[in-house]
Amino acid sequence: MAEAATPLRERSIERLEKGFGLVFPFFAALVVASLVLLVIGKNPLLVFSLIAEEAFGSTNRIAATLSATTPLLFTGVATAICFRAGVFNVGVEGAFVVGGLGAAFIGFALPSSLGILLVPIGFALAATVSAFWLAVPGYLLARYEIEEVVSTLMLNFVALGVTGYLVNGPLLSEKSGNNVTPLIHESAELVRLIPPSTLHAGFLVGLFILAAYGFWIRRTPAGIESAIVGQNRRFASAVGISIPATIILVMVISGIVSGLGGASHALGQLHRFAEGFSPGYGFTGMAVALLGRNTAIGILFGSILFGALASAGTTVQLFSDIPLDIVNIIEGTVMIFAVVELGRIALFRRKAVK
Amino acid sequence: MIVDQVLASSIVLTTPILLAAIGGLINRQAGIVNIALDAKMLAGAFVSVIVSSVTGSWLVAVLAAAAAGALIGLFFSLAITRMRADMIVAGLGLNFLIAGLIGFVLSWSFNSSGTLRMPDVQLLPKILPQSLSSVPVVGPMMAQIEPVTLFAWISVLVLPFVLSDTRFGLRLRATGNAPQVAHAMGLGSKGLQDMSTIIAGFFSGLGGAHLALASIGLFNEGLSAGRGFIALAAFYFGRNMPVPTALVCLLFGFLDAVQIRMQTAGLPPKLIGTIPYFMVLVALCWAGWRSVRARDRTA
Repeated sequence: MAEAATPLRERSIERLEKGFGLVFPFFAALVVASLVLLVIGKNPLLVFSLIAEEAFGSTNRIAATLSATTPLLFTGVATAICFRAGVFNVGVEGAFVVGGLGAAFIGFALPSSLGILLVPIGFALAATVSAFWLAVPGYLLARYEIEEVVSTLMLNFVALGVTGYLVNGPLLSEKSGNNVTPLIHESAELVRLIPPSTLHAGFLVGLFILAAYGFWIRRTPAGIESAIVGQNRRFASAVGISIPATIILVMVISGIVSGLGGASHALGQLHRFAEGFSPGYGFTGMAVALLGRNTAIGILFGSILFGALASAGTTVQLFSDIPLDIVNIIEGTVMIFAVVELGRIALFRRKAVK
Repeated sequence: MIVDQVLASSIVLTTPILLAAIGGLINRQAGIVNIALDAKMLAGAFVSVIVSSVTGSWLVAVLAAAAAGALIGLFFSLAITRMRADMIVAGLGLNFLIAGLIGFVLSWSFNSSGTLRMPDVQLLPKILPQSLSSVPVVGPMMAQIEPVTLFAWISVLVLPFVLSDTRFGLRLRATGNAPQVAHAMGLGSKGLQDMSTIIAGFFSGLGGAHLALASIGLFNEGLSAGRGFIALAAFYFGRNMPVPTALVCLLFGFLDAVQIRMQTAGLPPKLIGTIPYFMVLVALCWAGWRSVRARDRTA
């Protein structure tokens, strides 16, 4: 009896932990945000319902939310693909930015007579540039065991510096003053799905990438192998999985996805490249991947959540004089508690083994 | 002339990076990579401007900034050591959280977006008589020195002894470099790690106070401008040794000063600004290459 009951109980505990693990960081963030709101004498429930109303209240608002969700789909997948292989890539931000500049460059520098062809060329160049961008720290990690956290973090700053230089120098628009490239040709612009909102075809590309990621992690040998590398490197190499090859593979795929995200943002949203191109999409993508536990469905919900916060935050600030910074507070708390929670689960597991 | 002015601004621009790097270095010696130095600097700068304006005392302001940094460091450390949070993600999250909180307070309490100007902000006093600045070459630099800069450089000189010749320093290094040994000796490594993160917060907060109170006397959301990450770069490049790290900070401060000069000379400041990060990449590659070569030889 007892023997039969134990695995059942363990399974239910595991399920409970899993469900709790998904909700906990978000819940913690709500508590912190509520405290901040209470301190300034606002009713948190009213504020949260206002945010929900502003994020999902009408077709237009939903479109605005999905528009803000779009870049996070890409950066969430790009981060998750590395995290689940145990590769701590924090360089998605930089790859997103250089990819965006690459796509924008195609969009305004090539002749407009290429027409709609500019779009696939732009996406292809962005993916290539960003793939190389992250392949470098991937190679350094695989070959020389150089800490990827530090190298990718430093590359983010390099990306910001180099693109900042380019849009203030060689690629500066002659017409519109500072820090922006010229606008891309109209034929290179992605279709707007629900005008007047800025929701564009890049959202569909993002959904496709997300679905492909979900398929890749569950149904392909490379995807499953990379998860094994993430869980236990010694076991992975014992069963014949090449660790260096896996590291470089996930970094290159992460680069491709980041680049596509940058291209979608440049060709669909801004129609150019500008300084401050990404207000931290790469880092929010980390929060998304952590919150979503690297699963496709989790990333979808995570990016919609943060997209909603971003799109509602602006209007909530307008209507209720609550500072937009509440979004940053929530995001930071989610990141911290997402990993605190991971630690707790690991603790439980160790006890279970004993 | 130009040389002495660049020297003078180099020494001023080095101090905040140096303070954060000292903190990060001590933290790293205890085995924690502190990626939230930037947030602590920002908090220190914010607190120092308010306290300096309210109390009219630069000393109280500087101490309050250091205390704010230390307090944040304590929370950060508890998340890592007691709740086993991943230090990188928690650190990045903390950067967002602190920036968000400061922005929130700024626009709610002070009704301002981004910049905080307060009346009667007391700046850091200069130690030496200002007539020194007429001395050629080093004069302007000497005239710039204030207590926080002096403290930073004294720390650099004292730190090697603390780390290698005191019980605290040795235990700290054992915790970071040989956790099993520290554990076998019965050292409470979690407490030591907490202590080191608090110290890191203390120094970063001090660096933030210097950013705000050395000359401008106001707070801005972009004030730290990634200096916490440059500090990270400095102690990585200086391989956690106080004096080399300080020299790297001096170099970064010099680059910062030159960058300001170069803007008038027409060289792209953005590209010069990426040099510290490139240097870290080179340093990492060099270290990685050496360890792989050493391994291949023994194999």
